[in-house]
Amino acid sequence: MEELDLLKKAWKKDNYSFNQVTENEIYSMIHKRSSSIVKWILIISILEFVFWNIISILYLGDGYIRKKYGNEIFEYIKEINTIYNIINYTVVAVFIYLFYKNYKRISTTTSTKQLMSDILKTRKTVIYYVWFNILFFVVGTLVILYVQLNYDSKFASLMQKIHDDTGYMTLCKSIGIILGFMLLIVIAIWLFYKLIYGILLGKLSKNYKELQKIDL
Amino acid sequence: MSENLEQSFVKQLKDNQNIIHKICRLYTNGEDAHNDLFQEITIQLWKAFPKFRGESKFSTWAYRVALNTAITLYRKSTRSVNTVTYEGQFHFISQEEYNHEEEEQLKLMYQAVQQLNDIEKALVFLYLEDKDYNEISETLGISEVNARVKMNRIKGKLKKILNP
Repeated sequence: MEELDLLKKAWKKDNYSFNQVTENEIYSMIHKRSSSIVKWILIISILEFVFWNIISILYLGDGYIRKKYGNEIFEYIKEINTIYNIINYTVVAVFIYLFYKNYKRISTTTSTKQLMSDILKTRKTVIYYVWFNILFFVVGTLVILYVQLNYDSKFASLMQKIHDDTGYMTLCKSIGIILGFMLLIVIAIWLFYKLIYGILLGKLSKNYKELQKIDL
Repeated sequence: MSENLEQSFVKQLKDNQNIIHKICRLYTNGEDAHNDLFQEITIQLWKAFPKFRGESKFSTWAYRVALNTAITLYRKSTRSVNTVTYEGQFHFISQEEYNHEEEEQLKLMYQAVQQLNDIEKALVFLYLEDKDYNEISETLGISEVNARVKMNRIKGKLKKILNP
């Protein structure tokens, strides 16, 4: 007889070997909080939406702009800011809608493969949102740098002074440092996500690949 | 209304709990982890219960949700570090009609199954539950032919583990 069939024979008679859970225990269980990864993905995603919105509100509020950039280029920055906000809130709305749609689709009663793919899709939506924000952050910084160089006399003269005092190389170096710093932030954020979702979805991704392999 | 729902759920789950226990046994290796997974499955079942229309048997519906939870949603909690294995916790054989030799063999079988990955365990579970390949393919979301091929490979793998 095949090994597995031996197990099968015993399997059916095996119902008495488990400690039986009582009705009261089940009642208390269903009122406990779930630790499922879907719940964590939801929580983290909401935090992400909130976080990036707070950043953009703080970063581009009127008062902050005036203080940081001075009166001279205030109007320019304000205009950029308005465009920024229109794009930003449209995108946020679209992402939240997509996220909600994907999240709603997750159901434990579908097939295992479908369930996994729905979860991964939900998570991808948020990842795209994060990348969008990083890109937006980088582009925004570059645009502002451009405006400062061209329209802000104080900033331009500062750059000119660096240039005159220490030469062209130092100016390049300063700009290089700014860009390098931005790159560093991007890498840090990327690593942070790798870590969070790696912990959360490591097992799921592995099992998903395993299932996909069967159907290759 | 919702109290009725709760009552009916609790009663049906209590009557069908062995199928959940069996899944927990395949996917965990210790009493704490077993209870932890059992609880998470119960929560997921309760969450999905309003959508359960009774088109299938409660047990069929329940094992699907339970398998999905074990494979997909569940993360072992770090607080339960297990040192006790099932060997000491459960007697695999409750009836006396089995002899020691067979009991020993079954123990080895369970140990062998423990070495499989999550997906393979699911296939083993469905096989042990006597599900046909149509149902296996629907449950996991893979094609029927490939489910059959995979099952044969698993049998071979188990044989190799048991007779190295």
